[in-house]
Amino acid sequence: MSAGPAGRDARRHDVIVVGAGMAGSLLAKQLGDQGWRVLVLEAGTRTLDTWPGYLDALDTYYAATAKVPNAPYRPNAAAPSPSVLDLEGLPAGGYRAHGYFLQNGPLPYSSDYLRATGGTAMHWMGIVPRMHPEDFAVRRRYGYGRDWPIGYDDLEPHYRAAERALGVAGDADEQREGAGLPFPPGYVYPMRAIPRSYLDAVLAHRLDGAAVRERPDGPDTVLRVVATPHARNGTPDPRYDGGRGHRPAGAAGLPNYGERCVGNASCVPICPVQAKYNPLKTQATWSPRVTLVDRAVVSRVLTAANGRVRGVEYQRYDDPATPAHTTRTAEADIVVLAAHAIENARLLLVSRLAGSSGQVGRNLMDHPMLLTWGLMDQQVGPFRGPGSTSGLESFRTGPARGTRAPFRIEIGNWGWSWPAGSPGTDVARLLGIDADTGRPRGRGVFGKKLRESLGRDLGRQFSLQFAFEQEAESRNRVTIDPSHRDPLGNPRPVLTYDLSEHVKRGMAAARTVSDQIFRLLGAEDRTGYAPGPLAPGWFRHDGRDYVFNGAGHGGGTHIMGTTARTSVVDQWQRCWDHPNLYAVGCGSMPSMGTSNPSLTMAALALRSGERIHRDLRELKGPATVGRQQGGRP
Amino acid sequence: MNGRHAAPTPDPGHGTDDGSDPGKAPEDHAGFVAVSVRLTGFDEFDLRATGLVRLYHDTTLDQVGRPAVGRFLADLDAAGGDPDRITDETSRDIARAITHLWYLGVWPQLARSTHAALRRERANTAFVVSPEAYTEGLVWRTFHGHPPGAKPPGHGTWAAAPPGAPVRPVARRTEGAA
Amino acid sequence: MTATTRPSVLAEPPFRVPADRADLHLFLQAALALEHLTIPPYLTAMYTLRPGTNRPAFYAVRAVVLEEMLHMALVANLLNAVGGEVLVADPRFVTGYPALLPYSRDRITVALRHFGVTALETFLRIEQPEFMSGPPGHPSTRGDEGWTSIGQFYGTIREGVLRLSAELGERRLFNGDRALQVGPEHFYNSGGEVFAVTDLASALKALRVITEQGEGVNMSVFDSDDRIFGEAREPAHYFRFNEILQQRSYAPDDTPAGGPTGPAVDVTWHDAYPIDPGARVAHYPPGSAVRRAAEEFNEVYAQLLCVLESAFTGAPRAIGDAAPVMLRLRHLAERLYRNPHPDPAKRARGLHASATYEVTERHFERARRFVPRRRAG
Repeated sequence: MSAGPAGRDARRHDVIVVGAGMAGSLLAKQLGDQGWRVLVLEAGTRTLDTWPGYLDALDTYYAATAKVPNAPYRPNAAAPSPSVLDLEGLPAGGYRAHGYFLQNGPLPYSSDYLRATGGTAMHWMGIVPRMHPEDFAVRRRYGYGRDWPIGYDDLEPHYRAAERALGVAGDADEQREGAGLPFPPGYVYPMRAIPRSYLDAVLAHRLDGAAVRERPDGPDTVLRVVATPHARNGTPDPRYDGGRGHRPAGAAGLPNYGERCVGNASCVPICPVQAKYNPLKTQATWSPRVTLVDRAVVSRVLTAANGRVRGVEYQRYDDPATPAHTTRTAEADIVVLAAHAIENARLLLVSRLAGSSGQVGRNLMDHPMLLTWGLMDQQVGPFRGPGSTSGLESFRTGPARGTRAPFRIEIGNWGWSWPAGSPGTDVARLLGIDADTGRPRGRGVFGKKLRESLGRDLGRQFSLQFAFEQEAESRNRVTIDPSHRDPLGNPRPVLTYDLSEHVKRGMAAARTVSDQIFRLLGAEDRTGYAPGPLAPGWFRHDGRDYVFNGAGHGGGTHIMGTTARTSVVDQWQRCWDHPNLYAVGCGSMPSMGTSNPSLTMAALALRSGERIHRDLRELKGPATVGRQQGGRP
Repeated sequence: MNGRHAAPTPDPGHGTDDGSDPGKAPEDHAGFVAVSVRLTGFDEFDLRATGLVRLYHDTTLDQVGRPAVGRFLADLDAAGGDPDRITDETSRDIARAITHLWYLGVWPQLARSTHAALRRERANTAFVVSPEAYTEGLVWRTFHGHPPGAKPPGHGTWAAAPPGAPVRPVARRTEGAA
Repeated sequence: MTATTRPSVLAEPPFRVPADRADLHLFLQAALALEHLTIPPYLTAMYTLRPGTNRPAFYAVRAVVLEEMLHMALVANLLNAVGGEVLVADPRFVTGYPALLPYSRDRITVALRHFGVTALETFLRIEQPEFMSGPPGHPSTRGDEGWTSIGQFYGTIREGVLRLSAELGERRLFNGDRALQVGPEHFYNSGGEVFAVTDLASALKALRVITEQGEGVNMSVFDSDDRIFGEAREPAHYFRFNEILQQRSYAPDDTPAGGPTGPAVDVTWHDAYPIDPGARVAHYPPGSAVRRAAEEFNEVYAQLLCVLESAFTGAPRAIGDAAPVMLRLRHLAERLYRNPHPDPAKRARGLHASATYEVTERHFERARRFVPRRRAG
């Protein structure tokens, strides 16, 4: 791309997409294939789509002492990313926030994201359940949160399109029966279900058909272990697409390298073989009309007359370690913000746009996670396969939602790595090494004793990961404070976050359910929630302690609704106040249900793509270049 | 069809033009390996199979210094080669650190008292000594696992029973009141 | 099946165009063994690399190995398509190393060598593109008494397939059971995908993939993955190996004669564990850990061949089990290469222990406990 002497982009684009993550990459692909000229501006660097760059990320991950989601990806001062390591719990409860976010809420927002080509989907888990039809109408049906202006049926074709784009492996019949999701008759996913783990089979054997109660006098809930759909290469289903089958997408950056999931068991933070979908794969199939400019931090959206926007101003830098940059502008007929819920809100706030409802930045949501963990009475083969291959779906829907947040239970295949830092902590503990170097050390065990003790216990570790729906609350919000800026001078996000009573009651119910599940399993419960440096999410509710974690599912900050008075975007993710400004991503979601949101985000983005295509045709007539397929079919 | 057998190459080791130096055996650090066998409970083959003997040997010397390693070896000797019977706290902390290194590829923080006793002129921080050190951690072998992100076992292997578990799940062994 | 009707894999195919179906079976079974012959030496070069080093070389050799696996599957599909029966899990299928490269005019010794110049020079000889001699009996080969190149061998198979299809009729030649075919849903990975062989067109396509991925297309540097599979074209095997040897990659317009002029390829020759190319399990002291590991490797290698045979004899989905076994082999091999050779004299010369790929009936018997045989008898 060339810039004119005044730093103005010499070429005019039909669409500018801000952010080369999952939503932006899918949209750019769709619009480019339809013949539109798309400029994608990515704040972070572009090294991951080369194989040496990708291997560098893998080495960085290997060499990281804390193997957190952002561990493989190099820090970038020009486009900082939040890290889960930024939060520190205090000895008696409470937390301190370091790093990119400023936080002033009662509880911490505990999720990260990644500003680099490919975005946060470089370290997502790749789990892609659809939202349930009732998730779209929680206010109407259950009296909490916010409703969507559209329903499941409106989104269903786009769910299918997203499942095609991401190459989903799953069993639609099992999703229909076990999770209550409607599919068109005869629908099959592009690939057959990813095999479920041995741990799943053990749990299914001991739990399927058993009943638990959330209260002693409450109704029975019957348990069933249900396999989870994945955006992960497995075995293509020849029945897909009317018998045309599906061709799995290989890795980006290394020609003709495409493996099915080989069980690296590191989907988060990096899949070494790229069996898991990531947006680089979509970028590899972009039409030549899509231009990606990396190291381009959009600093504001530029306005024209009549509430329309005309383009963006961005800062181009060379060295991610220095604040040196040049400021440029780019213009287009339509601008799409696809930079993550928090970054989209920050950009709208900085640009003073889309503010008539007063909702920009509000309704910040995540899927707060409660983890429980224990030891099974036999070896279960932890730390193998994708992070979770099955879940318990019985608590996601139904009238109980009226009183407590619904939740989905993921069966965690990776031992206690998330809740307790295993196996590193187990080794240290057995050796007598305390994290506090000032404390006297235990004697420690060595040799065969150490080896046998680890072998006996590590192989029995398992965990349950409870993901709660968090409802839209206007008090949970992103704001900006001009006195706190990043090295390029852009205001940093200021977060105010808390969990509602509704969510906390959900967690209490989940803990009760977990206790019963552990009894049914005959497993030793080793769950413990205490304040401390590694527990910034500690709180007490109704006399019981809890520690919650973030899921990395930030949403709600440019909320979708039926009127300009109460929401930021319409059902097409188009800003009510600006007919040619779109804000796409989880930030548009009025409710998040209990489904990992990326698939829904992708479906929404593809739906918006259709609207943008119509907008452009109305503005300019048919695309100036004929429709042309980009990349391989 | 089979490839016909050819006569074995007469002199397999010599004359390589590969830049390897077959005329000289690399230092094999036999003493360090012998001590590590006692610390880790893994045999020499397993330890050498990591390819990291020299790196761990050098890291240990670099971190605590030759004199402290000498005292540690003497203390281990005095304990009859059983690390569990080492009484000197500094030597015991060195034993912990070397073992931690083998199991996780991470040189750990030493106890503050050890750090002071050794007058170490470096920060007392934990670090992964190399990317391969993480992937060669012995801890994964204790339960027939593999390090996340490396040595993957293959598609669908996670569905199979791990060694020591029944092939098909069985009812729980302990009764709990539901 | 009785021993008398079992195809004799020990017999070499005659130096003539396959004259009948039985002849064709013999040729295709030989082609299968030929494809397999190259896999152990390539794996040896890959797994003797020191961890984390020589990554471009690792991925290049890896891609070639996977394409050799693809070729095995395509040959097996072709053999099944013409009513043959595949034999893989058999000591007669497995060569000892060092071996002589068959179907070549020159005596080319193929040994299990660590990654290095010598190993790569051998690989180049194996994959060397040659002006394809006509098949036996062709005017251009008058006076020849034996094979001149692997290209000629495959050209002869192609000629045989064409002639038999014309003589017997296409439908009669391709009378195999379709259920035996391994398809793209069963195996995909690097450079192309497996496809079913059911007729003359798919048979010729399979033969084309095998020769062009190995030697390049139309005397150029590159294969035809772009045209056949809609994938990125890559340098053919010979040229991929030459990129490593020359430490420079081919640019899009490079020719075989001009050599690679593209970006440099980073190769560090000393980052490999030197091994004894004549190593035998029997050289390792009985009861030693190295001996046990080398034996285990050979047993798991036998399991791999059993898995492949099941996949080619009625259970195409079983080919999915090949990858886990190959990954096990990799880990076992790497552990061996990192251990010094147990023999003090060899150790003193810096040699390391190695996987020997000696697979006998005893190994197959043990392997079949894990991978039962499908064929009768």
